Amino acid sequence: MEPLILSHELSKNYNGKVCALDRVSLEICPGEWVAVMGASGSGKSTLLNMIAALDLPTSGALWVDGVDIVTYTEEERVRFRREKVGLIFQHFYLIPYLTAVENVMLAQYFHSMPDKGEAEEALRRVGLGERLDSLPSELSGGEQQRVCIARAFINQPKIVLADEPTGNLDATNEETIMKIFHHLHRAGHTLLVVTHDPHIGQQADRIIELDHGRVVPVVSSQRSFLKNTNFTLSIPIKEKHPT
Amino acid sequence: MIKQMLTRLLAKSLWKQKTSTALIVLSVASAAALVSAFLNLAFHLTEQVAKELRSFGANILLVPRSDPLEVEIGGLKYVAPEESAHLEEADLVKLKTIFWRHNIVAFAPFLSRLVEIEGNRALLVGTWFEEEIAIPAGKGLFTFASGIQREVEPDSGKFRTGLKSLARWWRVEGGWVGEDGQGVLLGSQLAQRIGVGRGGVVRITYQGRTVLFPIRGLVQTGGVEEEQVFVHLKKAQDLFGLPGKVDKIQVSALVTPDNSLAIRASRIGPARLSPEEYETWYCSPFLNSIIHQFEEAIPDSSAKAIRQVSEAEGAFIGKMRLTFMLTVALALLAASLGVMAAMMTAIFERRQEIGLMKALGADGKQISLFFLLEGGISGFFGGVLGYFGGLAFARLLAARTFSLASFSLPLSLQGVILFTTLILAVGLAVVGSFLPMREATRLEPIRAMRGS
Repeated sequence: MEPLILSHELSKNYNGKVCALDRVSLEICPGEWVAVMGASGSGKSTLLNMIAALDLPTSGALWVDGVDIVTYTEEERVRFRREKVGLIFQHFYLIPYLTAVENVMLAQYFHSMPDKGEAEEALRRVGLGERLDSLPSELSGGEQQRVCIARAFINQPKIVLADEPTGNLDATNEETIMKIFHHLHRAGHTLLVVTHDPHIGQQADRIIELDHGRVVPVVSSQRSFLKNTNFTLSIPIKEKHPT
Repeated sequence: MIKQMLTRLLAKSLWKQKTSTALIVLSVASAAALVSAFLNLAFHLTEQVAKELRSFGANILLVPRSDPLEVEIGGLKYVAPEESAHLEEADLVKLKTIFWRHNIVAFAPFLSRLVEIEGNRALLVGTWFEEEIAIPAGKGLFTFASGIQREVEPDSGKFRTGLKSLARWWRVEGGWVGEDGQGVLLGSQLAQRIGVGRGGVVRITYQGRTVLFPIRGLVQTGGVEEEQVFVHLKKAQDLFGLPGKVDKIQVSALVTPDNSLAIRASRIGPARLSPEEYETWYCSPFLNSIIHQFEEAIPDSSAKAIRQVSEAEGAFIGKMRLTFMLTVALALLAASLGVMAAMMTAIFERRQEIGLMKALGADGKQISLFFLLEGGISGFFGGVLGYFGGLAFARLLAARTFSLASFSLPLSLQGVILFTTLILAVGLAVVGSFLPMREATRLEPIRAMRGS
């Protein structure tokens, strides 16, 4: 299968001193759920920002859906984000003066055409059918994150990139969010989830661990059984290659 | 749906950031108020000032076309009566039938000769002191060679005019010569020289005919008139044996300062203007176009500008307009800086929101449109607020500073002022939003979302 995301020797230096990513090469296939893990400052979010075309590498190549997005102009990167990527953030980033449904419609507005019915349906799917007209300030953290998820999926993107999606949530809300992720994964979406939480990472098909900007080779666990079972019962198997 | 979403986004965004929206609206409103106030005052005051200046005398003189060269020294006219050409008194009403008839504030005829007054030589001037005349219907529709037709409203029918209206700065001790035409108004220096005063009688002799006149009042003008004696025109015509004749007519007319067209018309003559230019020139109250219309109305006359007054008036009004425009320009500049500062603050406070929009796929055009519309809407409301604020300010200023009891402009002119104010207000807000908007489009999504 052709990889959906393919990076080759991707590096990012800040001011020529701080090396956030160091020659990262990886492949992610369509429909795969990949967790990117590592300590703070290991380069997880930098990698995610590169794949989302929110940031440019210092060197290397990055193909997404067969195109090297490093060569994109600013205009092309905007179009790429609009059409191919769904973003979920740790801090939600909802527009405070728009209701839940309007926040979802905002992504439709920038993509093509706002459709209130579709936006409401997306919110119902994440269990927010009763909170459509609530402002972000009237929603709990978990509910806000579910609005973000609905917003990320509303335009049917090829890849969903989530940066610490449960980082600000309690255990109950974390469980709800992960259920939604499993549901989306089963529906065939490609997920790339940045997390420092092993419990979250272990639920992915594969883990890519970063350390000081470098990929730490990991033996992936074939955990297709998760697709048919309750994820909370799964026990991940992770083996580190000797370095 | 896109428009609905944008409208909802804009409405909520403006409401959410009430403080910065209010700041922008107030910045624009303050400039718009000045624009509105100054436009109102410029239109209203220039008319008032022109009227005030008109109270300082006539600005047009009509004499017979074939008048011989006359010599006047110290107010005494050295010309033989038989050599003089005359205008007809009956033609005076025609002055109120021209295209710019409504701009004729006052006029008075004059017929003067040297006489003996109590053994002293002095100029006796026959004139109208305060005369009510019936204005003929006159021409209502003016058709031009360019094919354009202009209609002029008929006058009210009656018009009170004379020296009293024309020479409002004269100080008269006693009273003016009344409607009965009896008595004289004596120049104060002449009265002193011949040793007579108010209530007395003077003996006036002209070519062997002597007439006694009671002295109604003494006049001080600061000019040659203080050495003259004024009687009703009819008395002078009887005395000189010139019934129905006048030497000259002085007219006070409201005029507008000359522009390039008026200057060109003066240089090459109105006949050499193109039909369209001629029509524009004819239908503008330039001094020379009114003079031209007088000569049309009274073909035997030759009209001349009394330049001192009209030039001073034109220069003053021109300077007043320039001052208004400069002040308005400075106010607009200051307000656009205010809008820029408020917008910059708003964009700084909303950088996470802008970063998110860009991360979701908003391009530069969408971000620009959003902020320019926000600026434009604030500008519109600032313009409306400023227009009414400016109108109130103009009324206050007119009443307190310029002591004008009434302040009214035609609705059509108010519409023009409102439209101009709104266009300037929206333009100002959009221009003020331009640089902040450019900054917004340049924000890097990730850095903006992190708040850095």
